[in-house]
Amino acid sequence: MATVQIRGVTKRYGGVQVMHGVDVDIEDGEFVVLVGPSGYGKSTLLRMIAGLEEVSGGTISIGGRVVNDMLPKERDIAMVFQSYALYPHKTVAQNMGFPLLMQKRPKAEIEEKVRKAAEILDLTKYLDRYPRQLSGGQRQRVAMGRAIVRDPQVFLFDEPLSNLDAKLRVSMRVEIKELHQRLRTTTVYVTHDQIEAMTMAHKIVVMRDGRVEQIGRPLDLYDRPANLFVAGFIGSPAMNFLEGRLATRDGRRVVETADGTALPLEGAAAEDGRRVTYGIRPEHISVGEGGIPVKVSVFEPTGSETLIFGRLGGQLIDALVRDRIEGEPGQTLPFRIDPRRAHLFDTATGVRL
Amino acid sequence: MRSRKTPWLSVALWSLLSFVTLFPIYWMFVISMKAPVELFSTPDILLRSLDWSNYVEVLESPTLRGYMVNSLVISSGNAVLVTALGFLACYALTRYDLPGKESIFFWTITNRMAPPAVFLLPLFLLLTQVYRIGDFSLLDTRIGMILVYCTFNLPFAIWTLRPTLDAIPKELDEAALVDGASAWRVIWDVILPLARPGLAVTLILTWVFAWNEYLLAATLTNFTARTLTTGLSEYVTTTGTAWGIMAAISVFTLIPALIVFSLVQRHIVTGLTFGAVKG
Ligand SMILES: Nc1ncnc2c1ncn2[C@@H]1O[C@H](COP(=O)(O)OP(=O)(O)OP(=O)(O)O)[C@@H](O)[C@H]1O
Ligand SMILES: [Mg+2]
Repeated sequence: MATVQIRGVTKRYGGVQVMHGVDVDIEDGEFVVLVGPSGYGKSTLLRMIAGLEEVSGGTISIGGRVVNDMLPKERDIAMVFQSYALYPHKTVAQNMGFPLLMQKRPKAEIEEKVRKAAEILDLTKYLDRYPRQLSGGQRQRVAMGRAIVRDPQVFLFDEPLSNLDAKLRVSMRVEIKELHQRLRTTTVYVTHDQIEAMTMAHKIVVMRDGRVEQIGRPLDLYDRPANLFVAGFIGSPAMNFLEGRLATRDGRRVVETADGTALPLEGAAAEDGRRVTYGIRPEHISVGEGGIPVKVSVFEPTGSETLIFGRLGGQLIDALVRDRIEGEPGQTLPFRIDPRRAHLFDTATGVRL
Repeated sequence: MRSRKTPWLSVALWSLLSFVTLFPIYWMFVISMKAPVELFSTPDILLRSLDWSNYVEVLESPTLRGYMVNSLVISSGNAVLVTALGFLACYALTRYDLPGKESIFFWTITNRMAPPAVFLLPLFLLLTQVYRIGDFSLLDTRIGMILVYCTFNLPFAIWTLRPTLDAIPKELDEAALVDGASAWRVIWDVILPLARPGLAVTLILTWVFAWNEYLLAATLTNFTARTLTTGLSEYVTTTGTAWGIMAAISVFTLIPALIVFSLVQRHIVTGLTFGAVKG
C-alpha cells in the first residue's frame, strides 16, 4: 500500500498536448475514481501511473518515490484493463499466477495464493479453463484475480466494468468495493460512468480535456459542484440549468429568466443584473401548491418515481418525484423548488458563485 | 442427422486435380525403380518390379550423402535464422514507434521483386571479396549459403509474420509488463506462443525455398557446400543422363520435405488469441 502523488503532469503526443498540468494526491488505502467523458485523458493518466506511457512533464510518485523513469515492473502496481487482456494460451490458474511466476516465487506459494484469490473471486471451479471458455463476467474476475494475487502497492482499473451488462455491472461494482474494503489497497479507478464514481469512490477526480475540473468526496461534488461542467456531469438525471439574471423582487434575491419567472434563491453573493445560470437537480423539485407553473410534455413513470419533463419559458426543466403523478402531456403543473438546494453559476465563466 | 446426396461433381473434380498433382510423383517413383536398360525400352508407367539399385547407389555415394547433409543444414539453418529474425523485426515494427517504419517494411520486399539471377554477381562478389579473411571466404560454405538465402527469405518472413504480430493485442504486452515481465519475457511467454501458427507457416515456406533452390546453390558452391538439387545436375553428362539415379535423388529430396511439413503443420491452427480481449 502506498500514496500516489501526481504533480503538474503533462502529456504530449507529437505536437498535440492532451494533458495540461494535472495535480492529484491519493492517500494510502484510498479508492480514487477518475471520471470524465470519453477522450479526456483518463486512460492516459492511468497508463502514465502504470508506466505504460511516458510522462512529458511533471512528476508521479508512488509511496514517496518518483517513478517517472521506472519500468512498469519496478513500480509494484497491478492493472486491470478494460479489455481484461487475459493471456489466451494460459489457463485461469496460469493467468492468475503469472505475476508471481515473474517474481520467481516458489511453486507451492504460487498455487496457494492463486487458490486463495480464486476463492475470493469464486473462480475455483474454473482454474483449469482457458479464457475463451469463460463468460464476460468470469473473465473480468480472472483479470481482477491476476491483480490481487500479488498484493501490489496500487491497483489501477481502466473501465473494468464497461463490457458487462447492466445487472452484472451492479454486482461487480459491489464486489470490487467489498474487495477494497478487505484488502485496503490504494486504488485508482477510471470510468466514464458517474454512478460508478459516486458509489465506489472515497474521492472523485473529475477530468475534462486533460485538466482536473474538481476533486472531492462524492457527496461534496454533488452538493457543491465547482462549475457547470461538474454540476452537469455528477448526478443522474442531470441537473437542470436555467439562464437568467440576478434581481431583487420584493426585497428577496431571485434569478429572473427571460420570460419573467422568478426562481427562488437563498442568499447570493453577486450584484443584481449579472447573467447567471441557475442550477437545480430534478430530485430537488416537487410538485405542489405555490410552485412555478411549468408546461409538462412527457411523464416517465418508473414505478418507484416519476420523471416529469417540461418547459419553463422555452427552457427545459425536469423534476423527479417520488409520488405517482398521472397527467396529460400539455398540462401545466406547479414545480416547487427548494431554494436551499439551488446552485448559482456565472454564465460566462461557468464558475460557481 | 440429415442425409445428403454425394456431391459427385466435387468428387470428380477433386479426383482429377489429385491425379494431376500426384501423377508426376508416382512416375518419378516408377522411374527410380528401373534399371537404365528398362527405361529406354518401351515406356511403361506400371511398376513391374522393385529394383532398389538406384537407391543403393545414391546411399552408397559419400558425395551424395554429403549433399544431403548440406541441404538439410542449409535449409534448416536458414529457415530457423530467418524466422527468428523476421519475428523480432515484426515485433519491433508492430510494437515500437520507429520513424519511417512503413518505408522500411515496404522496401524489404524489393529483394524479392527481381529474379534471383539479378543478384548472382553481387552475391558472388560479396561472398568472395567482401566477406573474406585471408584465404577464407564465404564462397562454397554452408554458412555462406545460409546467409545468401536470408536475402530472399528474410523479406518474405517479415511480410508473412507482420499480420500475425499485428493481430496480437498490444494490451497483452502491457499486461505482462505490468505483471512484472521484462521485454524478453513478454516476447518469450506471451508473443511467441501466440505467434506459433504464423511462425510455423514461415518456417515451412522458407525451408522449402532454400531446400529447392537451384540457381544460387549451383553458382555459389563448388563442392563442400553443394546441395542435393545441384547434385541432380551432375547426372546430366555428355555421355548421357542417369534418369534412374536422378529420380532416386528426387525421391530423397521429397522425403525430408514431407517430414518437415508433417512436424510443423500441426502448429498451424487458428483462433489462438480468442478470449484475450473483449469489446
Ligand atoms: N497514441 C496516441 N497518439 C495521439 N493521441 C492520443 C494517443 N492516445 C491517446 N490520445 C489522445 O489523448 C486523449 C486522451 O485519451 P484517453 O484514452 O486518455 O481518453 P479517455 O478519457 O480514457 O477516454 P475513454 O473514456 O474513451 O477511454 C484523446 O484525445 C486521444 O485522442
Ligand atoms: Mg480510456
